[in-house]
Amino acid sequence: MLFSSVVFLFTFLPLTILLYYVTPRKAKNAVLLVVSLIFYAWGEPVYIFLMILSILFNYFSGIDLARNEGRKEEQRKSLTITVVVNLLILGFFKYYGFLIENINAALSVQIPVRNLELPIGISFYTFQALSYIIDVYRGKVNVLVNPIDFGAYVTMFPQLIAGPIVRYADVEEQLRSRRENIYKFGQGARLFIVGLAKKVLLANTIGAVYTEAAAQAPASVLTAWIGCAAYTFQIYYDFSGYSDMAIGLGKMFGFEFPQNFRYPYIARSVTDFWRRWHISLGNWFREYVYIPLGGNRVSVLRHIMNLMIVWLLTGLWHGASWNFVVWGLYYGVILIIEKYVTGRLLAKLPEVIGVLYCMFLVMIGWVLFASPGLKEAFVYLGRMFGAGASSIFDRHALYLIKSNWMLWIFLVVGCTPVMHRLGRVLLWDEEREASAPVAILYLGMFFISVVYLVTETYNPFLYFRF
Amino acid sequence: MAAGKKKERKKIGKYIPIKGAQAVLAAAFFFTLLFISVGNLLHKDREFSSQEKRVLAQRPEMSLSKITSGRFMRQYEEYISDQFPGRELLLQIKTFADSISGKTKENGVFNGRDDYLMADAAAPDEEALSENLSAMLDFKAGREDIQMHMMLVPNAVSVMRSKLPLFAAPADQREMIQEVRNRLEGPYDWIDVEKTMTEHREEEIYYRTDHHWTTLGAYYAFQDAREKLGLTNMEEIKMKPYGASNHFTGTLSAMSGYQTGYKEAIFIYLPDGDTNVRWVVNYVEEQKKSASLYDSASLNGEDQYNVFMGGNHAIVDIKTTRSDGGRLLVIKDSYANCFIPFLVPYYKEVVVVDPRYYYGDLDQLMADNKIDSVLFLYNANSFFEDRMLYGILSDES
Repeated sequence: MLFSSVVFLFTFLPLTILLYYVTPRKAKNAVLLVVSLIFYAWGEPVYIFLMILSILFNYFSGIDLARNEGRKEEQRKSLTITVVVNLLILGFFKYYGFLIENINAALSVQIPVRNLELPIGISFYTFQALSYIIDVYRGKVNVLVNPIDFGAYVTMFPQLIAGPIVRYADVEEQLRSRRENIYKFGQGARLFIVGLAKKVLLANTIGAVYTEAAAQAPASVLTAWIGCAAYTFQIYYDFSGYSDMAIGLGKMFGFEFPQNFRYPYIARSVTDFWRRWHISLGNWFREYVYIPLGGNRVSVLRHIMNLMIVWLLTGLWHGASWNFVVWGLYYGVILIIEKYVTGRLLAKLPEVIGVLYCMFLVMIGWVLFASPGLKEAFVYLGRMFGAGASSIFDRHALYLIKSNWMLWIFLVVGCTPVMHRLGRVLLWDEEREASAPVAILYLGMFFISVVYLVTETYNPFLYFRF
Repeated sequence: MAAGKKKERKKIGKYIPIKGAQAVLAAAFFFTLLFISVGNLLHKDREFSSQEKRVLAQRPEMSLSKITSGRFMRQYEEYISDQFPGRELLLQIKTFADSISGKTKENGVFNGRDDYLMADAAAPDEEALSENLSAMLDFKAGREDIQMHMMLVPNAVSVMRSKLPLFAAPADQREMIQEVRNRLEGPYDWIDVEKTMTEHREEEIYYRTDHHWTTLGAYYAFQDAREKLGLTNMEEIKMKPYGASNHFTGTLSAMSGYQTGYKEAIFIYLPDGDTNVRWVVNYVEEQKKSASLYDSASLNGEDQYNVFMGGNHAIVDIKTTRSDGGRLLVIKDSYANCFIPFLVPYYKEVVVVDPRYYYGDLDQLMADNKIDSVLFLYNANSFFEDRMLYGILSDES
């Protein structure tokens, strides 16, 4: 089920809230587990069994690790098996087809390819389960004896299908004791509404512009750039909208999830960008791959290799195809250059130049990311720089700008903290309580989102490849 | 509890609205959800939306296989969206919000100048198009002695370009039509209505709220066709327009949600006075006969364009009292409905087949009715999207 669906908003969510709040504290996690399973089964009626299997496996692995406490050798063996099995499951569903295709191509053999449909959210919940297992092994967190609590952690519907990737350590405390109250619920509602509006009003509408611009052939240089900008906005508002909704929903049930996006498009360097974009994924890779590899406390050559490994994996995490690999390595190379060559220079440049430099590279990156394959990506990039374009600009490009002018303004402004600051000046500060205007503003935003949701047929889910 | 509250206030007060506002929002949000959910539950399902002019999704039936395949969930989501209380009002709000933010196109319909709504030029379904064209050529190849004509009517979006919204650049339909012409002309006699329509583009040849041409547009097209169909050696039968409606609102308005408020006139053409040709219109599958090509009851119905022959039918057989006329088969879409009244007085028999609804044997039909010429009449958009034509033209069906 998607958050941006009428069934979620007007059947699942109110029932879940009611059920959750009338249930006594002891059984609240059980309620979360049950509704989360229903939530998942609504979209993946078959793969839910895979998820349950994965939960049970990781739960018992955790118990096994705890039982062997003190015996490092045993523990290491147990950890290795658990990690390998998790990665094999993920690999089988996500990378099997890709792997076989490449083996076939490389060795010119004909192993039949079975393209399995990717279970939604598998990359997210596998990473969450791994964070638990590894931290139990490291002794950073206590083992969870209650399978319901563990199930609730992995399946927690707010972040189940599109993150943020909540590490077990972040919520260990909250799973046992957390406090729900009306203020936190209000904060959650606010975040949820903002996220919903980002997804439905901004991401979906600009997504339609991207589809239209990308389908143009032959297209002008300007159209190609408009398409690229449209996707750049779409993926940000879509993804950060989902994260806002997830964090907001978490708050409604008393949880505090980590922030996932912090105005990434005002970053002054690519290094800065990745501290602001999909923060929970970056943290996960740092915690469980980069630092164990030695991080930056190694020789320069080794450090460069570590970075490339992390970015190769980051690319692959986003999807099983060559353009994601190239996209990941592209960032690896840029980050290494920023680290060892241009970093200091960038810091000295005026902020505007830094933002423009960063956005240029990020937009090129999104072309690699969004295209169906590498070849298409390079054709599209060529068009952006004049190769194979019909002209510099044409009527169609002007139409795409003109007939979405207000949307473009919202999209640009929304990437910056301007609206937030404006809200603080106009509606609230330390002394003032503008309850009525705040409620009216957010409910209005919610209403318009519902209008677009009910009437709009274009409501894609971008992370089916994650 | 009080201490806990205070602590939290301190922590969050810095960057989020303070407590009162949050409590109000919390309550308002929850009760809004609840209110709409209950509204959804109590709202009576409807079968048909007269504003959107379409059948609405109904509550899907549940079964294990439909649940495991996920089909039930998809149908249920569609059902909830379609039956959402006040859906039609929401559609209007959305269209309005889109308009003020600069959008001039909704659901594939341009909101043009002078209240003209125009369906965007459809991109050809290349595979189906090429199958249709091959099937048409094969169909002709087996029938040397039967004259075949093709009339592909451009849509308003192609003809009335000056009415398009600023910067709008729909695909070039003229080019697509030319490609079809290049394929078919020779075996087929091509009736070029593009020039005529362009010449008359300042007149009311297309409806402003509907995707059809007006009867006047069809009238001009018929002037071209008359010569091509070889009817000029017969005495011209003068036709005269009569107003049938002055408050027609077409399907483009429903599709897009643009409520221009423009009320259209519908004209029907009848022979002017002194012709003595009479006809019987036989709606074969409906087993209904009529002496008129117009269905005045439709003027009170959902779609007033159905006044022409009562809308689309699988097959209509029109026999006239004219003994010197030929026998024509028309294979068509809904553009033909207001065109056929111009043809009928010149023929002994006109058989009208709509491939979207017809499942019979065309060969048999042509033999039984001694058909001696065939006219294909489509509007460009529906021809380029058609997936039915090759099915009835090839022998298997």
